[in-house]
Amino acid sequence: MVDQKMLVEVAKETLAREDVKYIIGYKKGSYGFQTSAAFAYTPKDVEEFIFTPLCNKNLAKYPLKEEKLPLKRGEEEDKRKIGLVVKGCDSRAIVQIIQENGMKREDVVLIGIPCPGVINQKEIEKRFPNQSEITDINEINDEYVFTVEGKEHKIPKQELLAEVCKTCEYPNPVLYDVMIGEEVEVNPKAEYEGIKDLEEAPLENRWEYWEEQFQRCIRCYACREACPLCYCSTCMADLLEPQWIRRSVNLSENTAWNIMRAFHLAGRCISCGACENACPMDIPLMELNKKLGKEVKEMFEYTPGLDIDAKPLLGSFNPDDPEEFIK
Amino acid sequence: MEDFEPNIIGFLCNWCSYAGADLAGTSRIQYSHNVKIIRVMCSGRVNPMFVINALQQGADGVLIGGCHPGDCHYQHGNYLARRRISVMKKLLEFMGINPERIKMTWVSAAEGRKFAEVVDEVTAEIRKLGPNTKIRRKNEW
Amino acid sequence: MESLVISKENFPEIINTIIKSYRLFAPTEENGFSGFNIIKDYSEMDLSYLNSRMPPKAILFNQTETLFLMKPGAKGSIKPKEIRNEKTAIFAIRPCDAKGFRILDPVFLGNYVDPLYKANRDNSVLIGLSCNQPDSSCFCTSFGDSPASGKYVDILFTDIEEKYLVEVMTEKGKGFVNDFSRFFSPASPNQIEAKNAKEEEAIKLIKRNLKVEGIEEKMDKMFDHPIWEEYAKKCIGCGTCTYLCPTCHCFDMQDESTLDKGARVRTWDACMFPEYTMHASGHNPRPARMHRVRNRFYHKYSYYPKNSGVIACTGCGRCIRYCPVNIDIIELMNRVSEMEL
Repeated sequence: MVDQKMLVEVAKETLAREDVKYIIGYKKGSYGFQTSAAFAYTPKDVEEFIFTPLCNKNLAKYPLKEEKLPLKRGEEEDKRKIGLVVKGCDSRAIVQIIQENGMKREDVVLIGIPCPGVINQKEIEKRFPNQSEITDINEINDEYVFTVEGKEHKIPKQELLAEVCKTCEYPNPVLYDVMIGEEVEVNPKAEYEGIKDLEEAPLENRWEYWEEQFQRCIRCYACREACPLCYCSTCMADLLEPQWIRRSVNLSENTAWNIMRAFHLAGRCISCGACENACPMDIPLMELNKKLGKEVKEMFEYTPGLDIDAKPLLGSFNPDDPEEFIK
Repeated sequence: MEDFEPNIIGFLCNWCSYAGADLAGTSRIQYSHNVKIIRVMCSGRVNPMFVINALQQGADGVLIGGCHPGDCHYQHGNYLARRRISVMKKLLEFMGINPERIKMTWVSAAEGRKFAEVVDEVTAEIRKLGPNTKIRRKNEW
Repeated sequence: MESLVISKENFPEIINTIIKSYRLFAPTEENGFSGFNIIKDYSEMDLSYLNSRMPPKAILFNQTETLFLMKPGAKGSIKPKEIRNEKTAIFAIRPCDAKGFRILDPVFLGNYVDPLYKANRDNSVLIGLSCNQPDSSCFCTSFGDSPASGKYVDILFTDIEEKYLVEVMTEKGKGFVNDFSRFFSPASPNQIEAKNAKEEEAIKLIKRNLKVEGIEEKMDKMFDHPIWEEYAKKCIGCGTCTYLCPTCHCFDMQDESTLDKGARVRTWDACMFPEYTMHASGHNPRPARMHRVRNRFYHKYSYYPKNSGVIACTGCGRCIRYCPVNIDIIELMNRVSEMEL
């Protein structure tokens, strides 16, 4: 477990730095099993910071979501850093963004948290749909312990753990300024087990599967907005001239959108699962991302989000890249 | 399937493949007429979404032509294209869309004959796959 | 209002009879959640649901709708889309979602009547099903409604264990019930009492409350309050809340065409997207997320009640349940309510 006192203390120290604007962390949510992003400007705000197994949102989204309105005359841009509480996956997202020149290393101060894995929000809310009271969850000996309506529940960790965490290879932040607590052990597991069945299915069955999934996409673009690596100032999907995909919601356009989203994350996705968590129609988007992650690893021996000095995968090449498909 | 004439969109690079196609024409080589050519400056210009868009708009296959490795007019555009298309093919395959609908070839400006052969071969293969129905726009309102 | 009962043994039969003469939408379960679909047989229906993921507004106000067809060129033409008057019944709609139509009506049937929506609305019978198991995000009681309210439906079914109590609320509902009268028998006072008990029980399950008194006046004075910025910071700007809302009704119109034909299509749009307000000049009157987030709440709790006399929120709780970043309209509005200015 992460020492919450230490987290608050470190965050306070960071906030006290002259070059830090504010810190983004987690705080309790408004009901049930929710947690929420917290933007701390004062030491008092920092007191609210928590880190529990429910902190499953990816905060790396926020530094680039910050909106800079046009400056008024005589006003100067606030160039101070943004503090950010990062888990392993969040830190990889930041690395990837820096690698792509989306931001500079000196734009952020990272408070690293070795992450023991977080809870699958949809799963726990499905199990306890009536829980409106704000609930604390503790991880004790591979069990999640919490109280619902006066009754204590102990649920084995594996049952509630988010799918992406089960196969996470980098639970410890890969980039940080301060680290809180000890690094957690990495349990290497077959990362691509989950997509094996689908991979081995015949082509037609795969299409049937995805057809059903994409059919129900409502194109709310929650997947895009939740993804820390979808930060283009104008998304191709929103362009009207040329219009890449029509606004009509039907299988053809939905499929094109989902291909576009998945492809643009090839060699960039850091497997945080934010897209899938955000999807209101429960489309298994991570399966697409995982597949591309796997292929990229096999074809180009490349893992995204580890090295800020690496070259982006699709912006670089190796003369010896596989080309057996070329005539 | 015999009388199905596939619609194939060819994205050919200005410096090699397009010139190769031109040579095939001026040399009066007979080859399949199924490939509709769109000239691009470099195979690296081919955004993989071009391919998806072509399939959406009714193409049964897409052919991307570039210079031979090392010969790119822009040094390495074709290498970049190769990476992108190979990743896109894997994605389509996983989604159940036959990746064989996307073809790629290296044709130099001197290879008019090769161009004709590739087009014949690609057309035959796409014809075997039949019409693309999977992500095609219905255009019914 | 007339109260009838139908026994659960007769229930499959009535549904299968309705299917013969109506396009029947009912909740079905697919991929682990519920949605309204046209059913062909009683067995497809799943009534164990809390509420559908997508609101049933999508049935009468389609996410993608063709407005007219066109042909280009010198002999070009424009042909309005044929209005199909299909007899439709929506079964097991929740009272909160039915209220959604009360809020869509002034928009589509007000000064300008939308022929497509009107046809859909006129041709459909709303058959409600009282909600006996509201969940943690439900708050319909905050607006003086109840999970077993028949105010906005034509007919309301309530599960009273061995039977369904059927309340006929409107003339349209009466006509419908008369068509199938052989299935119904008059309700006894005990059965009506049983419904009331169920209703009370359900109301007790609703734990969260949004304080609406005086909120409109309060918001008049809060346009520049920092609270909007505070919530907008968290917002990632997706369209989940608006697309899943039973009352949100904004749309976009686009022309789609091939070389020889085309159509003007109306699709849902969301005020959370920057493109929603973008002018052709490139100017955006709501440039920041704060403006957009604020607009959503103002539209629901201030502008709309000013125009149409009812708060444009039904308390279905979808925006709370499915918001990826925990923006909670109850929490926010209660803070607004309690704020001292």
